[in-house]
Amino acid sequence: MKNVIALFVLLALLAITLVLWFSKDSMTGFDLGSLGIILVIVAFAVFILGRRIKSWKSGEPQEDELSKMVMLRTSSLSYYISLYFWVFLLWLKDQVAFDQEELIGTGILGMAVIFALSWLFFHFRGVPND
Amino acid sequence: MTNRIREFRLQKEMTQEDLAKRVKVRRETIVFLEKNKYNPSLRLAYDLAQVFEVRIEDLFSFEDEE
Repeated sequence: MKNVIALFVLLALLAITLVLWFSKDSMTGFDLGSLGIILVIVAFAVFILGRRIKSWKSGEPQEDELSKMVMLRTSSLSYYISLYFWVFLLWLKDQVAFDQEELIGTGILGMAVIFALSWLFFHFRGVPND
Repeated sequence: MTNRIREFRLQKEMTQEDLAKRVKVRRETIVFLEKNKYNPSLRLAYDLAQVFEVRIEDLFSFEDEE
Protein backbone atom coordinates (compact mmCIF):
# COMPACT_ATOMS: atom_id res chain seq x y z
CA MET A 1 0.00 0.00 0.00
CA LYS A 2 2.88 2.34 0.87
CA ASN A 3 4.35 1.83 -2.63
CA VAL A 4 1.01 2.51 -4.29
CA ILE A 5 0.60 5.80 -2.41
CA ALA A 6 4.19 6.83 -3.20
CA LEU A 7 3.68 6.12 -6.91
CA PHE A 8 0.37 7.96 -6.89
CA VAL A 9 1.91 11.06 -5.25
CA LEU A 10 4.77 10.96 -7.75
CA LEU A 11 2.34 10.85 -10.68
CA ALA A 12 0.30 13.73 -9.25
CA LEU A 13 3.47 15.84 -8.85
CA LEU A 14 4.51 14.98 -12.40
CA ALA A 15 1.07 15.97 -13.74
CA ILE A 16 1.23 19.34 -11.94
CA THR A 17 4.77 19.97 -13.23
CA LEU A 18 3.69 19.12 -16.77
CA VAL A 19 0.72 21.49 -16.62
CA LEU A 20 2.96 24.32 -15.34
CA TRP A 21 5.71 23.58 -17.84
CA PHE A 22 3.49 23.39 -20.90
CA SER A 23 1.10 26.20 -19.97
CA LYS A 24 3.10 28.70 -22.02
CA ASP A 25 1.60 30.23 -25.18
CA SER A 26 3.69 28.72 -27.97
CA MET A 27 5.27 25.29 -28.13
CA THR A 28 8.19 24.37 -30.34
CA GLY A 29 8.61 21.04 -32.09
CA PHE A 30 11.12 20.03 -29.44
CA ASP A 31 8.56 20.82 -26.69
CA LEU A 32 5.96 18.68 -28.43
CA GLY A 33 8.43 15.81 -28.84
CA SER A 34 9.35 16.05 -25.16
CA LEU A 35 5.67 16.08 -24.19
CA GLY A 36 5.06 12.94 -26.27
CA ILE A 37 7.92 11.06 -24.61
CA ILE A 38 6.84 12.22 -21.15
CA LEU A 39 3.30 11.04 -21.81
CA VAL A 40 4.61 7.60 -22.83
CA ILE A 41 6.63 7.43 -19.59
CA VAL A 42 3.61 8.55 -17.55
CA ALA A 43 1.52 5.86 -19.27
CA PHE A 44 4.16 3.32 -18.25
CA ALA A 45 4.03 4.55 -14.63
CA VAL A 46 0.21 4.35 -14.68
CA PHE A 47 0.51 0.77 -15.96
CA ILE A 48 2.83 -0.12 -13.05
CA LEU A 49 0.47 1.62 -10.61
CA GLY A 50 -2.47 -0.35 -12.03
CA ARG A 51 -0.58 -3.63 -11.58
CA ARG A 52 0.23 -2.79 -7.98
CA ILE A 53 -3.34 -1.80 -7.16
CA LYS A 54 -4.56 -5.06 -8.74
CA SER A 55 -2.06 -7.07 -6.64
CA TRP A 56 -3.01 -5.17 -3.51
CA LYS A 57 -6.72 -5.85 -4.08
CA SER A 58 -6.17 -9.56 -4.74
CA GLY A 59 -4.05 -9.94 -1.60
CA GLU A 60 -0.83 -10.65 -3.53
CA PRO A 61 2.42 -9.04 -2.45
CA GLN A 62 3.13 -5.96 -4.58
CA GLU A 63 6.77 -6.93 -4.72
CA ASP A 64 8.39 -10.33 -4.44
CA GLU A 65 11.80 -11.80 -5.16
CA LEU A 66 11.25 -11.92 -8.94
CA SER A 67 10.00 -8.34 -9.23
CA LYS A 68 12.93 -7.15 -7.09
CA MET A 69 15.35 -9.11 -9.26
CA VAL A 70 13.80 -7.66 -12.43
CA MET A 71 14.18 -4.17 -10.97
CA LEU A 72 17.80 -4.86 -10.01
CA ARG A 73 18.72 -6.12 -13.48
CA THR A 74 16.77 -3.25 -15.08
CA SER A 75 18.66 -0.67 -13.02
CA SER A 76 22.00 -2.18 -13.86
CA LEU A 77 21.34 -2.51 -17.61
CA SER A 78 19.73 0.91 -17.99
CA TYR A 79 22.62 2.58 -16.13
CA TYR A 80 25.11 0.90 -18.45
CA ILE A 81 23.21 1.90 -21.62
CA SER A 82 22.64 5.42 -20.28
CA LEU A 83 26.40 5.98 -20.03
CA TYR A 84 26.71 5.33 -23.77
CA PHE A 85 23.63 7.46 -24.41
CA TRP A 86 25.28 10.45 -22.70
CA VAL A 87 28.47 9.93 -24.70
CA PHE A 88 26.32 9.90 -27.85
CA LEU A 89 24.59 13.14 -26.77
CA LEU A 90 27.95 14.81 -26.13
CA TRP A 91 29.04 13.80 -29.62
CA LEU A 92 25.72 15.03 -31.04
CA LYS A 93 26.20 18.39 -29.30
CA ASP A 94 29.23 19.03 -31.50
CA GLN A 95 27.32 18.12 -34.67
CA VAL A 96 23.99 19.88 -34.02
CA ALA A 97 23.36 23.23 -32.33
CA PHE A 98 21.90 22.20 -28.96
CA ASP A 99 20.63 24.46 -26.22
CA GLN A 100 22.10 23.46 -22.82
CA GLU A 101 18.61 22.91 -21.37
CA GLU A 102 17.54 20.85 -24.36
CA LEU A 103 20.61 18.67 -24.02
CA ILE A 104 19.98 17.94 -20.33
CA GLY A 105 16.24 17.46 -20.95
CA THR A 106 16.91 15.04 -23.80
CA GLY A 107 19.40 13.16 -21.61
CA ILE A 108 16.94 12.79 -18.75
CA LEU A 109 14.08 11.75 -21.02
CA GLY A 110 16.36 9.31 -22.84
CA MET A 111 17.37 7.73 -19.54
CA ALA A 112 13.71 7.32 -18.58
CA VAL A 113 12.93 5.68 -21.93
CA ILE A 114 15.97 3.37 -21.59
CA PHE A 115 14.81 2.37 -18.11
CA ALA A 116 11.27 1.60 -19.32
CA LEU A 117 12.55 -0.46 -22.26
CA SER A 118 15.00 -2.36 -20.03
CA TRP A 119 12.17 -3.16 -17.61
CA LEU A 120 10.02 -4.47 -20.45
CA PHE A 121 12.94 -6.57 -21.70
CA PHE A 122 13.49 -8.30 -18.34
CA HIS A 123 9.77 -8.49 -17.57
CA PHE A 124 9.10 -10.55 -20.70
CA ARG A 125 12.42 -12.42 -20.85
CA GLY A 126 12.49 -13.39 -17.18
CA VAL A 127 15.65 -13.69 -15.11
CA PRO A 128 17.21 -17.08 -15.82
CA ASN A 129 20.65 -17.93 -14.49
CA ASP A 130 22.90 -16.73 -17.30
CA MET B 1 18.04 -25.92 -13.91
CA THR B 2 14.64 -27.42 -14.63
CA ASN B 3 11.74 -28.00 -12.28
CA ARG B 4 8.55 -30.03 -11.90
CA ILE B 5 6.47 -27.31 -10.26
CA ARG B 6 3.68 -27.46 -12.85
CA GLU B 7 3.49 -31.26 -12.56
CA PHE B 8 3.24 -31.20 -8.75
CA ARG B 9 0.83 -28.26 -8.80
CA LEU B 10 -1.55 -30.12 -11.12
CA GLN B 11 -1.25 -33.25 -8.96
CA LYS B 12 -2.35 -31.15 -5.97
CA GLU B 13 -5.14 -29.59 -8.09
CA MET B 14 -3.95 -26.09 -7.30
CA THR B 15 -4.13 -23.03 -9.52
CA GLN B 16 -1.12 -20.80 -10.03
CA GLU B 17 -2.87 -18.22 -7.89
CA ASP B 18 -3.40 -20.70 -5.03
CA LEU B 19 0.25 -21.70 -5.11
CA ALA B 20 1.38 -18.07 -5.27
CA LYS B 21 -0.66 -17.28 -2.16
CA ARG B 22 0.71 -20.31 -0.31
CA VAL B 23 4.33 -19.30 -0.91
CA LYS B 24 3.66 -15.54 -0.70
CA VAL B 25 4.78 -14.49 -4.16
CA ARG B 26 3.05 -12.89 -7.15
CA ARG B 27 1.23 -15.18 -9.59
CA GLU B 28 3.55 -14.18 -12.40
CA THR B 29 6.51 -15.51 -10.40
CA ILE B 30 4.88 -18.96 -10.53
CA VAL B 31 4.33 -18.50 -14.29
CA PHE B 32 8.03 -17.67 -14.80
CA LEU B 33 9.12 -20.55 -12.57
CA GLU B 34 7.02 -23.04 -14.52
CA LYS B 35 8.48 -21.79 -17.78
CA ASN B 36 12.00 -22.14 -16.33
CA LYS B 37 12.57 -18.44 -16.90
CA TYR B 38 13.49 -17.81 -13.29
CA ASN B 39 15.47 -19.76 -10.73
CA PRO B 40 14.02 -19.25 -7.24
CA SER B 41 15.88 -18.36 -4.09
CA LEU B 42 16.66 -21.20 -1.69
CA ARG B 43 13.89 -19.89 0.60
CA LEU B 44 11.26 -20.03 -2.14
CA ALA B 45 12.48 -23.44 -3.34
CA TYR B 46 12.14 -24.70 0.25
CA ASP B 47 8.63 -23.23 0.60
CA LEU B 48 7.53 -24.82 -2.68
CA ALA B 49 8.90 -28.20 -1.62
CA GLN B 50 7.02 -27.84 1.70
CA VAL B 51 3.73 -27.10 -0.10
CA PHE B 52 4.13 -30.13 -2.37
CA GLU B 53 5.47 -32.28 0.51
CA VAL B 54 8.49 -33.39 -1.50
CA ARG B 55 12.24 -32.90 -1.21
CA ILE B 56 13.84 -29.94 -3.00
CA GLU B 57 15.86 -32.31 -5.19
CA ASP B 58 12.63 -33.97 -6.34
CA LEU B 59 11.29 -30.60 -7.39
CA PHE B 60 14.39 -29.17 -9.05
CA SER B 61 17.01 -30.86 -11.14
CA PHE B 62 20.29 -29.31 -12.07
CA GLU B 63 21.78 -30.29 -15.40
CA ASP B 64 25.45 -29.49 -15.68
CA GLU B 65 26.09 -27.90 -19.08
CA GLU B 66 29.76 -28.96 -19.20
